[in-house]
Amino acid sequence: MREQFEIVGMLPAPHTPIEKKRKWYQGKPVFRTILLVLIVTGCFACDLVMTKEPTYLDLNHFNSAPNREFLFGTDTMGRDIFSMIWYGGRTSLVIGIVATAISTAMGIIFGALSGSMPDWMDKVLMRLTEILLSVPGLLLVVLLQAVLGKANVLSISFVIGITGWMSIGKVVRTEVKGLGNKEYVIASKCMGGGFFHILGKHLTPNIVSSVMFMVIMNVRNAIMAESALSFMGLGLPVEEISWGSMLSLSQNALLTNSWWIILIPGSFLLVTLMCVTSLGNSLRKKINQKDSNL
Amino acid sequence: MRELLEVKNLSVSIDTPKGEVEAVRNVSFSLKAGETLVIVGESGCGKSIMCKTIAKLLPPSARMKSGSISIKGEDIAQYGEKEMRRLRCEGFSMVFQDPMTSLNPTMTIGSQIGEAVRVHEPGISSQELKKKVIGLMELVGIENPKERKKMYPNQLSGGMGQRSVIAMALAKDPELLIADEPTTALDATVQAQILELFREIQKKQKAGIILVTHDMGVVARAADRVGVMYAGKIVEVGTAEEILYDPRHPYTQGLLRSLPWFSRGRKTLYTIPGMPPTLIHPPKGDAFACRNAYALQIDYEQEPPMFPVTETHAAATWLLDKRAPKLPTVSPEKEIEREEEVGEEILLDVQHVTHLFPMTKKTVVRAVEDVSFQIRRGEIFGLVGESGCGKSTLARCIMNIYKPQKGKIMLNGLDVWDSKVFSANRKLLQRKRQLIFQDSDSSLNPRMKVWEIIAEPLKIQHIMPPRGSLREEAAFQMHYVGLDPAYLDQYPTELSGGQRQRVAIARALVMEPELLVADEPLASLDVSIQAQIVNLFRHLQQEHGFSFLFIAHDLAMVEFLCDRVGVMYQGRLVETGSVRDLFSNPQHPYTKSLLKSISLPDFRQQTAGRTGSW
Amino acid sequence: MVMKSGGFYYGKKLLLFLFSIFLLSAVIFFISRLAPGDPLVSYYGDHAERMSPEERQWAEEKLGLTDSLPVQYVHWLERALQGDFGISYKYKRDVTEVIGERMGNTLILGGIGFCLIFGLALALGIFCAWREESLADRVICKIGTVTSCIPEFWMSLLLILIFAMNLKWLPSSGAYTLGGTRDLEDRIRHLILPLTAVIMGHLWYYAYMIRNKILEEARADYVLFARSKGLKKSSIVLKHCLRNVLPTYLSLMAISLPHILGGTYIIEMVFSYPGIGTLAYESARYKDYNLLMVLSILSGITVILCSIVAEIINERMNPCIRGNHIVEDTEVAER
Repeated sequence: MREQFEIVGMLPAPHTPIEKKRKWYQGKPVFRTILLVLIVTGCFACDLVMTKEPTYLDLNHFNSAPNREFLFGTDTMGRDIFSMIWYGGRTSLVIGIVATAISTAMGIIFGALSGSMPDWMDKVLMRLTEILLSVPGLLLVVLLQAVLGKANVLSISFVIGITGWMSIGKVVRTEVKGLGNKEYVIASKCMGGGFFHILGKHLTPNIVSSVMFMVIMNVRNAIMAESALSFMGLGLPVEEISWGSMLSLSQNALLTNSWWIILIPGSFLLVTLMCVTSLGNSLRKKINQKDSNL
Repeated sequence: MRELLEVKNLSVSIDTPKGEVEAVRNVSFSLKAGETLVIVGESGCGKSIMCKTIAKLLPPSARMKSGSISIKGEDIAQYGEKEMRRLRCEGFSMVFQDPMTSLNPTMTIGSQIGEAVRVHEPGISSQELKKKVIGLMELVGIENPKERKKMYPNQLSGGMGQRSVIAMALAKDPELLIADEPTTALDATVQAQILELFREIQKKQKAGIILVTHDMGVVARAADRVGVMYAGKIVEVGTAEEILYDPRHPYTQGLLRSLPWFSRGRKTLYTIPGMPPTLIHPPKGDAFACRNAYALQIDYEQEPPMFPVTETHAAATWLLDKRAPKLPTVSPEKEIEREEEVGEEILLDVQHVTHLFPMTKKTVVRAVEDVSFQIRRGEIFGLVGESGCGKSTLARCIMNIYKPQKGKIMLNGLDVWDSKVFSANRKLLQRKRQLIFQDSDSSLNPRMKVWEIIAEPLKIQHIMPPRGSLREEAAFQMHYVGLDPAYLDQYPTELSGGQRQRVAIARALVMEPELLVADEPLASLDVSIQAQIVNLFRHLQQEHGFSFLFIAHDLAMVEFLCDRVGVMYQGRLVETGSVRDLFSNPQHPYTKSLLKSISLPDFRQQTAGRTGSW
Repeated sequence: MVMKSGGFYYGKKLLLFLFSIFLLSAVIFFISRLAPGDPLVSYYGDHAERMSPEERQWAEEKLGLTDSLPVQYVHWLERALQGDFGISYKYKRDVTEVIGERMGNTLILGGIGFCLIFGLALALGIFCAWREESLADRVICKIGTVTSCIPEFWMSLLLILIFAMNLKWLPSSGAYTLGGTRDLEDRIRHLILPLTAVIMGHLWYYAYMIRNKILEEARADYVLFARSKGLKKSSIVLKHCLRNVLPTYLSLMAISLPHILGGTYIIEMVFSYPGIGTLAYESARYKDYNLLMVLSILSGITVILCSIVAEIINERMNPCIRGNHIVEDTEVAER
């Protein structure tokens, strides 16, 4: 085997492709995403799903337990809960989305402003947000709702929206601050990159992921806030069907022990909230990627 | 005499999302009491993981696959946390790389040292404890221990911090001390002191020390014996002398040759071509073969065993086999005098620049104070100094990032901080000056593709790319800085550190600058990669003829690359001069101590005389 | 950083506090005046609607309603400083009196709830961090995520439905049994369900934060070094990691106090528990503005006080060691 000891020099290393051990869907909330998609399409296409007219008061069948005709039973006013779920879900989701759109826009504007202002101004603005943040949200909403008068879908989205922007504002501000010190932004400035170049090329793409998480969490919080408000009778009135206003009947339902009026809309609400949460969490930056030293 | 530590056939693998990395492959070595073994290798060669395996401090994703580890004849391979704790209490200590992260920021130094003492002597009275803590602090050379022990880690300098870490390691009168890159995070002068301290400890305590490093300088300074690690294996072991003066493995030879002093007076540094392999599927045979110009056919087929050279010296390379051909000896290149191409015209004139950072209302940090120097057209000016001496701040003043409180910076006769002059010449100034940062990790936007990054300045300045599209221009520049254009559409995170630094260089060069400012461009790179980048700088400088402000803490690289040098110390420029003058006849005491800390007298002379033999 | 002398430091905080309260009262005053509804109604009750224009004129002048808003505010402030906040329309009694009656109940529910949340979150967080990724940790995390998604009012409804309606173990409403003996046992029986709802609603948010913070600390190099020193896992977690997490946790808890109290409002309402929450709910529903305003100012004061306490904790407990933000940004989102 003399030729084994011939000098051959540097040979290109044989390229062994690294096979991916994980499938793309592993570690992602597939099941919950499908569930969420089902609920959302069901709600937005409620006309196709509903078996009854959701606003019709069937006085012959009020407060009846789930049966073949009324799949999820009827409420104390004789409305078909199954139809109301989809119909009201649409309202709840719309409020969640509109409120989030408002708070996202406000949060981004405020955060970007605060992050690029001089230090003392930034401090004042942050103090303001922190105080607003620690005011119980419900109280703020109640106050504003009192100012705006009778609630409808738009006014309630507005109220929830303008009381929910603070957390997004803080994140945007932190990111803007942090990115301002990043060397690639400094480099870009040195090359003569203008404000809009830096905003579009460097800031926005790097903020998106952390803001997305907050946005999704905001959808969740808005849906939750709507349900709590309507439940208390401070949000949508009983006639305007949403998951929250359906639950506002539960005080009456408790008296007759009609569990379906409480359990069924609540479960839909809960499942939606959970799906949205896990969707948000999957977008979140992974914090515990490193190995523990303990 | 029984071995203090004996490691046999140790293999460790780490689970990563990309696959199983075989970080340590079949490593065996031993250590006697009172001996210092230095493990040297590039980052990613598995040296750190090996230390953690011995100390049983592996992260959960890593696991020891096979092998045995015995300390004083006690096999600890199967030991659990409880038994290991006993060992650690009895005198098995570790020191980590960065004192700032290995100390708890919210506890005082004294209480952290006290903790270590109490673990060793549980019954100690608080009076005794106090005494012992102060004693330990004195032992490691911390002055004013009574006041210092009440300080928090962030109030201490890096060197002081590392001394306290060592004090904690010594609290247990260790028989075995493992130090994982203990000097890497420190400044050159401090590094020397810490290594000195290790030497003392070894003598006083008769401890066996394992010192892990990537720096050949540490080897020369501290080692009794040396193990060279490459791609998860120990490829050569021997006494310090044998490794430094008679290296047998081509990798060891390459490492030694890529030190700047080896190429003194030459145009380019010697470099090891290529990059270390990934260890997910380690290559068959000798992992170094694809970087070795004299690789044999068998290197690609079969793993070389350890060939003994002397009783203490062995290397794993087929070149030592009886059947291997004799290699032609490398004849020493002639010393080429570098032609002086520097003109007389002054490009950058820094006049009495002062920049202060206000800390609180009353105190300020004088980052840069009254600094003046000139850079001529086509000159490479090196700026050296330890971390925090203000050299980066100065660079940022020159780049119009920080406004100096006093003084002027003239580029080509234009006062760059005069707002009228600046706005009149904005485009010109933005094109003619370019900056390269230390950390290519954060100086490249992770969400932009490589070609977008390189073409960004063209886009900002609305310059028609000379070679057609932006993409083609980027491809050309990549080729120019030695990057495969196949990376055009990749994101910076997918590249290695050296490749990223090349991208940053390409981005700076695309504007064809007259002045290039590089702020510690080598600091985050491995030795062999550093040499490649320095070669690239020298090559580009000759092609382009730009003036170059090269900021570094590594004197050896500065000596190799630069025409003139300035030494900064605590915000002031204490000495400037041509490389030759300054290195042969330093004036300022700080320069002297800096030079002393990198000079390795006998090592350097002897090796310089022997370069021809390998 | 040089520590300023204590007196000066706290004096500054006090001034800040007073100023914030002044600002807050002004804002709330103007909002409440902008709100629709007849202020006379809140003073004279139903009678106001039957007033003749002359009577109205007289009454408005008497109440100073003809003055400009800033002047009205000054008048209001004068009276408020003397402790006169007006009369509740619904209860026809002094606002302060009405609130005073209910305050104790809310403080009991909220206070006990707060303390329990504080302690349990710490214990649960440490437990989960200790056994990271173990079965117990995973199960607790899953359950915790689910509970944190349940709206508080629905949780309360569920509790009533299960434990009061069907199992009949515990009473479903009030603070005491009507006509009962009003003893401690009765009180406790009435507290259990609302307290459970309060705790379930908040616990996981804080426990999860503790868990993640400790785990974050556990990834720091100093933990590895502490292990190599020979410290026990328990002393590393408790003495090192927890120590670094505590200031953040304490200041977070401080600013969360109004949140937890605010959370009890809706729970009080579901359980018809006679506290501030039911009062606030009624005042908002029946447009009892005097009452609502005082309640808002009261919660505003709590908020500001707590945020100042949080700031003091942050600045004093961790002097110049590291700049901990009062609230981590991603954590806020989960509220």
